[in-house]
Amino acid sequence: MKPFPVRSIFALVALVCGLGGAPFRAEAAMSRGFNRLLDAVVRIDVREVGFEGGTRRYTAGIGSGVILSADGLILTNAHVVSPRAVEVNVTLANLERVGAKLVGWDHWTDLAVLRLDLDEVKRRGWKIAHAEFGDSAKLFPGQEVYAVGTPHGLTRTVTRGIISNPNRYFEDSRGVNGYETGAFNTWLQTDAAINPGNSGGPLVTEDGKVVGISSRGYLGANNLGFAIPSATARSVMAGLVQQGTIVRSYVGIVPGALQDLENFYALQLSSGGVLVNSVDPGSPAAKAGLRAGDIVLAIDGAKVDGRFPEQLPPIQNLIASRPVGSTVKFTARRSGETREFAAVTERLESRVGEEWAFEKWGLSVRKVSRTYARENQLEDAGGVVVIGVQSGYPADVAGVTRGDIVIKINQQPIDSLAVMKAAHAAYEANPAPTLLETQRNRRVSLYILKP
Amino acid sequence: MTSFRRCGLVLIGIAWLAVARVSAAADLPTLWAERAKAVVAVEYVTETEVDRRPTVTMGTVVDTQGTVILPPGAIDPRAALWQLKEFRVYLPGDANSAPGEYLGQDAFTGWHFVRADAALRARMVPVTNFAGPKKPAGLADFVWGIGLRGKDEDFTPYLLQSHVALVQALPQRTGIAQQEVAAPGLPVFDREGGFAGLALASFGQTFLQFSRGARSSAVMLVNVEESSAFLLAEDVLPYLGRVPKQPNGRPLAWLGAYGLEPMDREVAKFLKLSTQSGAVVSEVLEGSPAEKAGLRARDIVLAVDRKPLPQLKPDSVVVRYLEREIDRRAPGDALPLSVLRGAERLELNVVLGEQPKLVREAERKYFDRLGVTVREFVYGDAVERRARTADSAGVVVHFVKPSSPVAVAGLRFDDWIKEIDGAEVKTFAEAVQRLAEIDRDGNRPEFVILVGRGGETAVLRVKLK
Repeated sequence: MKPFPVRSIFALVALVCGLGGAPFRAEAAMSRGFNRLLDAVVRIDVREVGFEGGTRRYTAGIGSGVILSADGLILTNAHVVSPRAVEVNVTLANLERVGAKLVGWDHWTDLAVLRLDLDEVKRRGWKIAHAEFGDSAKLFPGQEVYAVGTPHGLTRTVTRGIISNPNRYFEDSRGVNGYETGAFNTWLQTDAAINPGNSGGPLVTEDGKVVGISSRGYLGANNLGFAIPSATARSVMAGLVQQGTIVRSYVGIVPGALQDLENFYALQLSSGGVLVNSVDPGSPAAKAGLRAGDIVLAIDGAKVDGRFPEQLPPIQNLIASRPVGSTVKFTARRSGETREFAAVTERLESRVGEEWAFEKWGLSVRKVSRTYARENQLEDAGGVVVIGVQSGYPADVAGVTRGDIVIKINQQPIDSLAVMKAAHAAYEANPAPTLLETQRNRRVSLYILKP
Repeated sequence: MTSFRRCGLVLIGIAWLAVARVSAAADLPTLWAERAKAVVAVEYVTETEVDRRPTVTMGTVVDTQGTVILPPGAIDPRAALWQLKEFRVYLPGDANSAPGEYLGQDAFTGWHFVRADAALRARMVPVTNFAGPKKPAGLADFVWGIGLRGKDEDFTPYLLQSHVALVQALPQRTGIAQQEVAAPGLPVFDREGGFAGLALASFGQTFLQFSRGARSSAVMLVNVEESSAFLLAEDVLPYLGRVPKQPNGRPLAWLGAYGLEPMDREVAKFLKLSTQSGAVVSEVLEGSPAEKAGLRARDIVLAVDRKPLPQLKPDSVVVRYLEREIDRRAPGDALPLSVLRGAERLELNVVLGEQPKLVREAERKYFDRLGVTVREFVYGDAVERRARTADSAGVVVHFVKPSSPVAVAGLRFDDWIKEIDGAEVKTFAEAVQRLAEIDRDGNRPEFVILVGRGGETAVLRVKLK
């Protein structure tokens, strides 16, 4: 069972809130810090565009967020507000609504930053409160925490629980609306009830300090919730505010935990090491000569210990945080020998490329990314993947189906979405038979889009 | 008076002859009983690492030497020759059987050839004895054929009859009857008992399935016992003598154009090929005759031997048409191709080569304690994995025994073993030697293999204790 992103899944829910328990806890929950936190938590209503069925479709969703600065920066989840959002409305503690804009998002850590429309807030004479980060590194299992958010649209819901595990490894290659997540951070696990709609809301300590951003829960399980630790959230937020995106370095190693393979590889327990489970074909690591089965002992001279899955995200992050184009030195062991490899990093790219719908053709596509091309052993990153067709429209009539990769249009290679947009504009102005060259399981087919 | 009487006798004689002729033609049970001697049931065993699977199929007798043809689907194409054992031939309605010898598959027709033991031959009648219909089966013609019951009923023959509903080029001339007309692989006859064709595997039919509370759903059903489609005699009789020279079916002609894809009429029109069709070449394989002749990926084949590819229905038939042009030839034969490359028309003179070793011909070795069969990495494996033939080291997992040590470790069918115990595996012999050592060594607690699977790799640890 995979943890689900906690947004817009509807189910019956019993409201769990922090009323019970010993009196001194109730008092703590009423502390000034906690009150201030409550004032900083917002409900987020999002309308976003999707391109799946050969057309543009708009969907609405609900999530949570927390104001973290006096100038109206809100932290939420990447699966709540993404670049697909066309309208974002925020409900403040005074139950009034105000617009917000996306500053940046990072699906790897499932975080997004919004900026409130402060002009409107001022014009209407409202005051906004903001919360503060706590230190997630100091959390211990059993420590009491509270989740605040909008589960199933129930605004301003507080639930209580404990930190179940402060260092949970969880990676999902399609976890954030089809985007990769979890490779570079571990998660806080809590038993505070986290339901769909809690997403993006803060996980706080008794004094109202934000130690995590609630993100996911296990579907069908009882109170297995996950939150992004504030240590990660703080740095990602700073990066998003500064650049609108998080730039990471990529070398193309898929690490595996050594677990109990040390004996086999004749390693000393103390020395650790990371198993290279796979090397992406054509990646910098492959070019540098690294191979699956190698054991990386050190990166840039610093020892790495990846015997357990929880240890892998920080190691991945070590590589990712290097500037793009820098040389990373790997000390690796192969067949009993220790060797050095130098890989020049590339910019990390998602498997999911930009999407678009060509409505006259009833054809939805996603740009083939470098990562997608490598994963699917394509010759290059040219073309677009068909993600949907609309019944009865030219693409469907011609026989184009989901999963086809369109390589050329009217014999012109599609190296960007712009090529296809231009062809579609020409078709709109003057509908004429249009030739598509597609590929599916390496088989090349030709289709005519006929007006 | 006498002359009148004579005349009357003659008249009666003519009338009797006429009646006899009609009644002979109409006496279907007699025709059926004679022609049932031209069909047999064939049973064989496929031996695998852990079991023996018997298969029953049906065939048609084609000569007086006891040669029988079985339909293309009668034998799993992935099975190695040595796995196919104990061929036995049964005459219809007879519980006794005699051994048969497997002679191989003909690439052009797809038929498997089996030769029945001499003991049976006297009781078998070749279907060619009934050859000679005056005209090929046409629309509305009455046709009939033979079906065989199961082994528990001694393969008792029974009669099937129908009328021709449609004759289509697929690309061979194919008759489609209104109902099932014969068991797949068995002959079809006309009213006079003349050989009209050979039943194909039956075509699927779509049915709607209704269930309580649910909406109806479409299901396709395929009748495996009887078929309504048959190859017309003209596309059967000339090829009955194509008995393979050796059981592996070689020599096999090879072009090396991967993924031939049909084009629809709209595309043909767009490319200004209104009266003909073409086939798109998806990839040209490394070192193949196609590559040597200068064929390139995305070329569109327009003609073979200057003969334009016809527009057939459905569009996909053009691919079979082109493949048959290859399969009817032998290695070393010329295959002159006219191709369209962009806007340019080119004439390429391909000289067909011999097929590289096939998966079913690859060497294999089973290790019972480990629970794995590995097989030689052949050309087709390199193609499938997009590996250059120069890089194609290692072995392929052909079988994983359930619950065996390798199964527990996560090894799967078709995995590509690249390293054993951290050292690269170059050849099949090397892999076998290393695995044999591990298999023999009772003290070994574990070993580690590096496998490739769909472009990624994984390190698997196999615990032996």
